[in-house]
Amino acid sequence: MHAYESEFREPLINGLDKNYTKITDDLVKPTEGRPPLIWWIAVGLCGMGALFFFFCLGWTVYYGIGTWGLNKTIGWAWDITNFVWWIGIGHAGTLISAILLLFRQRFRTGINRAAEAMTIFAVICAGMFPVFHMGRVWMGFFIFPYPNTRGPVWVNFNSPLLWDVFAISTYFTVSVLFWYSGLMPDFATIRDRATTKWRKFIYNALSFGWQGTAKQWQRFESLSLVLAGLSTPLVLSVHTIVSFDFATSVIPGWHTTIFPPYFVAGAIFSGFAMVETLMLITRKIFKLEDYITINHIESMNKVIVLTGSIVGIAYITELFIAWYSGYLYEQYAFYSRAFGKYWWAYTAMMSCNVLSPQLYWFKKYRRNLVVTFILSIFVNIGMWFERFVIIVTSLADDFLPSSHAYFTPTWVDWGIYLGSIGLFLTLFLLFARTFPVVAIAEVKSIFRTSSEVAKKERAEKEGAKHGGFIGSVQLSNKDEK
Amino acid sequence: MADKIYWKGLEEKEQEVAFLANESKEFSEDLPILGGASDAVTTEGSTSRRDFLKMLGFSVTAATIAASCEIPVKKSIPYAWKPEEIIPGIANYYATTFSQSGEHCAVLIKTREGRPIKVEGNKLSVVSKGGTSAKVQASVLGLYSGTRFRNPKRGKENITWETADAEVKAKLDSLKASNGKVVLFTSSITSPSTKALIADLKAAYSNVEHLVYDAISYSGLLDANQLSFGARVAPNYAFAKAKVIVGVGADYLGTWLNHTEYESDWAVNRRVSKANPVMSQTFQFESVPTITGFKADYRVVVKPFEENAALIGLYNAVTGGSLAGGLKNAKIEEAAKALLAAKGASIVVSGSNDVNAQLLANAINTALGNYGNTLSFENALLLKQGSDKSATDLYNGLKDGSVKGVLFYDANPVLNHPNTKELAELIKKAELSVSFATAIDETTEVSQYVLPDNHYLESWGDVEPKAGVFNTQQPTISKLFDTRQFQETLLVWTGKGNNYYEFLQKYWESSIYPKQTKYNGFWAFWDTAVHDGEVVVGGSVATSAGNPNIADAAASLAAAAGKGGEYQLKVYESLTMGEGSWGDNPWLHEIPDPVTKITWDNYIIVSPKFAEKNNLKPDVNTKEYHVIKLTAGDNSIELPVVAIPGTPDNTFGVALGYGRTAVSSDQLLVGKNAFPFLALENGSYKNIVGDVKWSKTGRIEYLAITQTHHSITLKGLGGVKTRKIIKETTLDEYRLNPAAGNEERAEILANSVTLYPTHDRPGHHWTMAIDLNTCTGCSACVVACNSENNVALVGKDQVRRAREMHWLRIDRYFTGTEENPEVTFQPMLCQHCDNAPCENVCPVAATNHSSEGLNQMTYNRCIGTRYCANNCPYKVRRFNWYDYNAADSFTVEGGLDNDTKLSSFQLGLHEPIARMVLNPDVTVRSRGVIEKCSFCVQRLQESKLTAKKENRILKDGEATTACQTSCPTGAIIFGDRNDKTSEVYKAMIDERTFGVIEEIHTLPNVLYQTQVRNKKAESDQHTEEAHHA
Repeated sequence: MHAYESEFREPLINGLDKNYTKITDDLVKPTEGRPPLIWWIAVGLCGMGALFFFFCLGWTVYYGIGTWGLNKTIGWAWDITNFVWWIGIGHAGTLISAILLLFRQRFRTGINRAAEAMTIFAVICAGMFPVFHMGRVWMGFFIFPYPNTRGPVWVNFNSPLLWDVFAISTYFTVSVLFWYSGLMPDFATIRDRATTKWRKFIYNALSFGWQGTAKQWQRFESLSLVLAGLSTPLVLSVHTIVSFDFATSVIPGWHTTIFPPYFVAGAIFSGFAMVETLMLITRKIFKLEDYITINHIESMNKVIVLTGSIVGIAYITELFIAWYSGYLYEQYAFYSRAFGKYWWAYTAMMSCNVLSPQLYWFKKYRRNLVVTFILSIFVNIGMWFERFVIIVTSLADDFLPSSHAYFTPTWVDWGIYLGSIGLFLTLFLLFARTFPVVAIAEVKSIFRTSSEVAKKERAEKEGAKHGGFIGSVQLSNKDEK
Repeated sequence: MADKIYWKGLEEKEQEVAFLANESKEFSEDLPILGGASDAVTTEGSTSRRDFLKMLGFSVTAATIAASCEIPVKKSIPYAWKPEEIIPGIANYYATTFSQSGEHCAVLIKTREGRPIKVEGNKLSVVSKGGTSAKVQASVLGLYSGTRFRNPKRGKENITWETADAEVKAKLDSLKASNGKVVLFTSSITSPSTKALIADLKAAYSNVEHLVYDAISYSGLLDANQLSFGARVAPNYAFAKAKVIVGVGADYLGTWLNHTEYESDWAVNRRVSKANPVMSQTFQFESVPTITGFKADYRVVVKPFEENAALIGLYNAVTGGSLAGGLKNAKIEEAAKALLAAKGASIVVSGSNDVNAQLLANAINTALGNYGNTLSFENALLLKQGSDKSATDLYNGLKDGSVKGVLFYDANPVLNHPNTKELAELIKKAELSVSFATAIDETTEVSQYVLPDNHYLESWGDVEPKAGVFNTQQPTISKLFDTRQFQETLLVWTGKGNNYYEFLQKYWESSIYPKQTKYNGFWAFWDTAVHDGEVVVGGSVATSAGNPNIADAAASLAAAAGKGGEYQLKVYESLTMGEGSWGDNPWLHEIPDPVTKITWDNYIIVSPKFAEKNNLKPDVNTKEYHVIKLTAGDNSIELPVVAIPGTPDNTFGVALGYGRTAVSSDQLLVGKNAFPFLALENGSYKNIVGDVKWSKTGRIEYLAITQTHHSITLKGLGGVKTRKIIKETTLDEYRLNPAAGNEERAEILANSVTLYPTHDRPGHHWTMAIDLNTCTGCSACVVACNSENNVALVGKDQVRRAREMHWLRIDRYFTGTEENPEVTFQPMLCQHCDNAPCENVCPVAATNHSSEGLNQMTYNRCIGTRYCANNCPYKVRRFNWYDYNAADSFTVEGGLDNDTKLSSFQLGLHEPIARMVLNPDVTVRSRGVIEKCSFCVQRLQESKLTAKKENRILKDGEATTACQTSCPTGAIIFGDRNDKTSEVYKAMIDERTFGVIEEIHTLPNVLYQTQVRNKKAESDQHTEEAHHA
């Protein structure tokens, strides 16, 4: 079952010395032996950030939400901004693994594992915020519809916050299943190479005793397909539901029907940017340039310029509708967004999200690693500001001017935000060290069709006009060894 | 051989089915064990023993775990002997009177289980007319204040009353022997029996002299009346009869004289209806803006020194005179025209403390024939009797050593005497200094003895606020501390026993009872007086026509008016701090000043132009204000600058009553003392200072401002648009069209459709209507709400962070120019929307709607997501950012930074004594939950239960909210809109009524009525002004 391979398509795996053994070696190596010093430094720094994150959360729970910069008018600020930001970042993984799987975009194999891991870690970070932004987090279980003796008191199914609970928990569960099921054959590969008893035992347990039999492979493939089918609507639904938090309210600047598509596009936009940030670092440190090629980067940059432009159109549409509606409060909300006390946030959002990705119309920049890295950071800054602009500026200047207010973050706000990045990176670093960051089995599946070796072999078979390779790509790991 | 078969009975032998089935069971019959939680399970009896044991095990474990958590035990002790009149859970009300330092209200005190918890207005009173002021509402907190003295003291040392009496009497005796003068220094004494006791003291100690001063002085007004009418009293002002009111620097709605009465009287002619579309017209000539000016139909901005020139101008215009120095202004002519058209039904008041200004005001009123109509000396006002001469006499006497001893009662001259610093040293040097203050103040700090007086809620007493009107005071609680009433002390010192109650009764029997004829028998009279809190026996102050020289007065005024110089300062009485005694009342500190919206500080008011020109504009986002220094003569003050529209250029305004140094908590060290700026001139202390120098200090200070000058009108794409939050019209337009200014409401109502089924409100449907026309912004309702609903105080730092907890706030909106804007005050509280945006977003359904139209908050259920607060278009929901009330079981104290230093903003509420003020009917909210106005649901419930017990339908007006009853002008109407005869229903269907931003279909249950200004429409005005030009 191979896909049609374009003659012009560049190889998805570079390097002429590649064979199945080499691939296994290259991809398992980062989990073996002593990690490089830079890894220790990075884990140390990020781990401290993660610890500070939990310290700030503890501080908040102990003293109260008053330790944040919120006030009577602005009841949500960095907390929900961070929440939506992280959830958005968490969109790329599932998109890459599910939707691209369904569309048979095989370039995804190089990046899907890390993207999925990133999704899960981002959702973990995101999930922290709705929990800890509660004034009485110890009563947080009220949010679950469970039978109780208080009447019973039921939750309010009209509330978008409740929809969030279901949407995010479902998304998290399916993402974890998808990610983990894909990991099982690779764990088995690591197990088979393991030299110590403990390592063997642990990876065996993690792989659920994977044997690589034909039946297992067949079930594995079916499960991937089923989960991909399940996740695809989720990619669209989660951010749609998150956007309902705002879209169903009455606050000018929130009460907007454009939010669901606009949020989903924004989420994919920021998710791809975050994948790029991480992949650029990972491929460098773990020397995976042959597997995560410039071709991958360019493909992702194309998605970024597309989604960035969609987001840009959404911004302009919002402004147009505010003017066209003739509705005073809406007009004021958008006017003050652009020219009010938070003009700098709006400017940052516009320039990072709409202007900077336009560089990717040029192939030169799409394939430039430095530009890509900088822009991927820019996009994530811009997307953070987008959520800040939506949440804070709308609340700050709503209906009654008597209550207009200003938000200034405290050290706890900073600590929680930066700390959540620390937590995210710590989890990713631990993942990169212990799990195969590139899906070994899946990469091997494209080796015979689109690697540089394959291209070369094909080129050598000059005159032979059967345009492609015959032969199983489903070579088991065992055979390769 | 087969075994024999043994059988127990025939059933077994015959192998009956039922028998066999039962045989396998341990117990042949079903055991009477109840099943699990579900009834269905029980009836079927399917709960197995296993299930029973599981449940038993689980519940025992759960109970053990739950019980092993140590929760602090709070003990409550039942009455061993229940007092006859106290039924737990039922409030008792006692009539008494607040009368201190010129503030006067007849009140009812609500007590629960013997604790006074709330002040209500006494509707029987002809003096305060059922209204209350913010200060009087807050007075109940003073009872439980941490600053109160708990013992008599010598210096810092606690002593017994016996020792104190012996020592002070010995000193007094020795001073008497050496003929050393002792001054009894007091504010105006309004109690006739106390006056009698002071006379007794003076009789016993011939060396005692009684000096009366008022820190907020009305000396000029009293002296002028002495000259004009031969009586040193203020007349009775009947604002209710006035068709035209002209105020010149007199804040008669906020602070001036008996302002609570004036407010309620003023409202009488400001209420308009279709049936009676007339209202009084008010003019205000003033420099520093006041609520009176902001409520005036025409506010004329003049510099402080021009206020008196305006008075001369007005005199000229009214009498046709041509005194020199009169201000010329088109509005003066207009005011004079209006006054002349309403002869005998107008009032001219001046806020100046200059006797000449008051003489002029008297002359204008005389010329208008107002005496005997709107002004009279029958029931003359006796609240202010002080003389500025007393203050100088004390200072001079102490300085030259002729005064050897001082006794201070209701007086804190070290704070509010213009010579404050010097006076402190002089008092320290005096041979005897005694203060009778109830709580720590600057004077007790330098006095040798403090003999603490009872709080007024612990005292017997009488007050004569107006000639012939007597109020009674009765204790509402036993003495909390080892204090003794001042009057009792006087009795002890004069050897007349120690029972002031008996003395009071005897005094009334001999002096007041004979003046009346209604009651036959003293006890009936006395009981009625104590029960009602007020008796009117009739009386007047004898007057004799004087003949002051108006020309001289005007000349001297004109001369003084010319001395202002470029920069002029006016120090004014603030609405909340009075003469400074309220400085230890955190409720009042947290009330945003209605004019400036600033809490917890005083500041320098300047014009927006001045701030802009000198680069002194604040950062409104971070609330950082520039501090400048004002210098006049030897005095200087450094305060942050606040630009308020409507302030004249190059004019500074600073509130008095701040800068307390002797207070219980660092939180209360607020502002700077402006009393030293009062300058003695022409026999009275002037509150305007000329030739002021100012300089920048380069410092920045935070101000806890609750509302900045965000514009209601938007200039942007599509021209100028105005938010329809407040609506107003002019009287002329209103006469033509009762819906004037509110035209689009019909359209909004017509477009008010919904897809969803509507809910029936078969019983009550509570609704509130607020008349913007009569709301003065006085903020009595805000304090009443605090008091009724245990609303937390948060302190300056938290207010600066926009976290004030007030359930009810007064929004202030400017229109027009920065130089002279029009202002509307709008009380804003939970609108109890029938289609509430907050309700459907709560994930746990903690806020919901009652069948009576109340938007309810279930604190227990709230998890604090704040989604409701975000989605509230009115932003009236408040979140408990910290444990402001020390209400949590496990209190968290202390922290690393200022933000989390809880002790700094709990403001003493963790002290058991301060918690006594809490209303037991209202949950004290813990950290992390949302709260908001409940329409005083506990009061509604109480009134409903009363009606139910009496088996009748609730009458209109029975169910009241705290804000409604505290309002002196009756601007708030509350009731059941399903009752078609109710006041609120009538208000609801009135053409002036509208809901705030109701076009978003929130269906609010709080409605407002348009403000009607009795002035020409703006277009007419412009043409007229063009004319003048």
